[in-house]
Amino acid sequence: MFNYPKDLYTDVRIEEVFETKIIYELGEIQELKTRNHKGAFIRIFDGDKWYYSATTDLKNLQQEIDELAAYGTNKDIDQSPVVTGFEVHKETLGKYEQESISEVPMEKKQELLTSYFPMLDNNEMITYWKALYSDKRLVKEFYSSKGSEISYDTQWAGFSLSMNFVAGEDRFQESFQKASDTFTDLLEEKENCEEMIAKCEDFVKHAKPVEPGKYTVVLSPAVAGVFAHESFGHKSESDFMIGDETMKKEWAIGKEVGAKLLSIVDDGGVIEGGYVPFDDEGTKGKRTEIIKEGVLAGRLHSATTAASLEESVTGNARAINFEYEPIVRMSNTYIDKGTKTKEELFSEIEEGIYIDTFNHGSGMSTFTIAPALAYKIREGKIAEPVNISVVTGNVMKTLALIDGVSDKVEFASFITGGCGKMEQFPLAVGFGGPYVRVKELEIQ
Amino acid sequence: MHREKYTISTRQISLNVVQTEIESIRRKNISKTGLRVYKEGLIGCAGAIGSYREEALLKRALKSLQGNVRYGFELSKNQQRSKDLRRKFIDKKNILEEFSEFLERVKKAQPNFIFANKINLTEEEYQVQNDAGLDLTHADRVLEVGLLFKEKSSVNVMDGFAGFWGRDYDRELGVEEINKICNAYQNPVDLPKKKKLPVIFRSGDMVPFLKFLKDLEGNSYGSKSSLFSNKREQKIFSEDFTLYQSRNSSDTLLTPFFDVEGTTNNHDRYTLINDGVLMAPFTDKRAAEKYQLPVTGAAAAEYDGIPVIGRPHLTIKGSTKTAKELLGGEPGVLVMIASGGDFTPQGNFGSPVQLAFLFDGEKIIGKLPELKISSNVMDMYGKDFIGVSKDSMGPLMHDKYLMMHMEVSEI
Repeated sequence: MFNYPKDLYTDVRIEEVFETKIIYELGEIQELKTRNHKGAFIRIFDGDKWYYSATTDLKNLQQEIDELAAYGTNKDIDQSPVVTGFEVHKETLGKYEQESISEVPMEKKQELLTSYFPMLDNNEMITYWKALYSDKRLVKEFYSSKGSEISYDTQWAGFSLSMNFVAGEDRFQESFQKASDTFTDLLEEKENCEEMIAKCEDFVKHAKPVEPGKYTVVLSPAVAGVFAHESFGHKSESDFMIGDETMKKEWAIGKEVGAKLLSIVDDGGVIEGGYVPFDDEGTKGKRTEIIKEGVLAGRLHSATTAASLEESVTGNARAINFEYEPIVRMSNTYIDKGTKTKEELFSEIEEGIYIDTFNHGSGMSTFTIAPALAYKIREGKIAEPVNISVVTGNVMKTLALIDGVSDKVEFASFITGGCGKMEQFPLAVGFGGPYVRVKELEIQ
Repeated sequence: MHREKYTISTRQISLNVVQTEIESIRRKNISKTGLRVYKEGLIGCAGAIGSYREEALLKRALKSLQGNVRYGFELSKNQQRSKDLRRKFIDKKNILEEFSEFLERVKKAQPNFIFANKINLTEEEYQVQNDAGLDLTHADRVLEVGLLFKEKSSVNVMDGFAGFWGRDYDRELGVEEINKICNAYQNPVDLPKKKKLPVIFRSGDMVPFLKFLKDLEGNSYGSKSSLFSNKREQKIFSEDFTLYQSRNSSDTLLTPFFDVEGTTNNHDRYTLINDGVLMAPFTDKRAAEKYQLPVTGAAAAEYDGIPVIGRPHLTIKGSTKTAKELLGGEPGVLVMIASGGDFTPQGNFGSPVQLAFLFDGEKIIGKLPELKISSNVMDMYGKDFIGVSKDSMGPLMHDKYLMMHMEVSEI
């Protein structure tokens, strides 16, 4: 396909994108578009440095490769541990060719949104709403000087109904979202939406500011997912360990890092927002146990980090689009199921907080979750709604304070947002978990 | 029918830093074009990344009129203005060598630390042109040195952030900027024992503005969903507090002086709050018409999208005092990283502060323990508002010091 420069490693990633975006605001259409474009990202490695180029000039990729190669110093690249670590695949995977989101007529996508309008328009407490439908189909090709020739497709579609509720002087903003890899999965969500709206109506009418302090907290599956992602998921991205002896010792596989009932998994093979059949350096998506029964069991890798730590690639080298290089990112990250029922988890709490939905989260040594719908727990039952600005905890202390995990994993279903790392935002990821109880978290 | 073209061209050289050394170099040269057509009160739009055929783009834009997206607003017209802020303060060809040297200097000056992340030299050109006589162009070139640091003995993914960003570069001043932070980091100090303390943010930090970005948004305001709805022309904040929606190049980087609808303002700023009085929420043409509000020029869109209200850059009018004068002899809490906090619908604010320093207005004294800060938007910009310094945070820094009293305690 290409004339690869001698004694340098080269790979080329070509992305063909189809996207739809439809936005209605208070029933009036604001945006209706489809987008098709192609771009490519070229990487050259000389054993010391990487040289990258992002281009839309697909007719001149060979010229771009040759120009980039001039930066590199030719070395015996085949012996580089980074290059020996690359997987080589020759595979074409057209998983969605028969049910491509690009073949669903625009009218059907509009109808999906407009069918919710009466529900929104007829609600006096909803003073403002915006309906978004969005989909993306991606066909990626990957070629490398080691011999990889891969072509595969992925797609993700969904809708979001963002609503502002007002009751007197009280206000609340929340959205109902549903996302999936096929259009048909998006249908039949009205009951769930009605249920969410009823919850919001109750919340805006009755929520009171929380008394700040430390509480036992139960996280819903979606919130547990974002907690797993922010608290330990980012710590498992091993690019922060390259050449760092302190970190290698501190984060040795086998170290106890959390309560015994805690297991966290990252799995690119799950059909969720972070589905990765191959990552952006041609490695197949894999299931990686990050924490198993409270013990550090694995971490996420690109070929560079795997070589540095003398471990194997995990299929987690991902870029947000053709303009960026792949870096170590999560795919679908979740807390694995435990043994208690949801009811048992709540029944053992005299006074606590239940976080049902969230606005955003972040994670460093301290993680944060900014809740949306949140409630007091009193005598084992979900009680009155409360306004909370932020939930925080020290990551390592909190992982040890998990004292209950329910018996069923659910994935969160999002079409908006995504994960940000350094300059690359948003990346589609999946996250979820069971209901998770933490003995003590700081509530503000 | 009218035609309008919006283009964004980006040229960037990006160096990735790992273990205080350059690990990779990336070059990018991408242009994105959106062609909008306006006909019989409707708007159609089509876009292209890279090269394109004008006729094909027009055909697609015309076809998209079938989407029936209403746009009956007057086009921006009869204005020509060009602003080119690009200055050759660093030679692109030598950037790898220059920053290899820079990192060597940093490595020697700070042997206890490891540095990582990005050094970007970005050049952007924006243009909006239409057949009603509008022709606005804006070009900027900015260097961003954003280094995450960690102590070699630390078990954290990162301990902090040091860097500088703007339209200038000097190796020695850059190293000094990094030293200032890292030296203070190695000097742990106690939090002063007072419930309320002066809290100091970088003026470009959007965390203290989150409530304004949500509740001064025109649709939120106009639909009575905002905490500030119906408070227009009322004095609700400190008389020392004036808030601009700004596209002024002294307040912003890589931000054109016009929005995607071609709206411009005097001095490239629009006053949203004047001496504590709420003047207007920020709007695009659609929200302005719908809710009978002034057009402030806050429209944004993807290159191939239809304008909607975006997230404008907010800037507080600077005071005539230095940071030291504003603090009046009392040391304050300089917030370096406050990630994850937010406001409740009632305006209560809470956030952890992952990294903060004690600061006397001139010198960063030492590193404070992890903190939590809390307040309410009405107090932050009302009785507890101190002001924005006239001095910037450093010779290579664009930002100034924004100060207000808040409740501060250790986590």
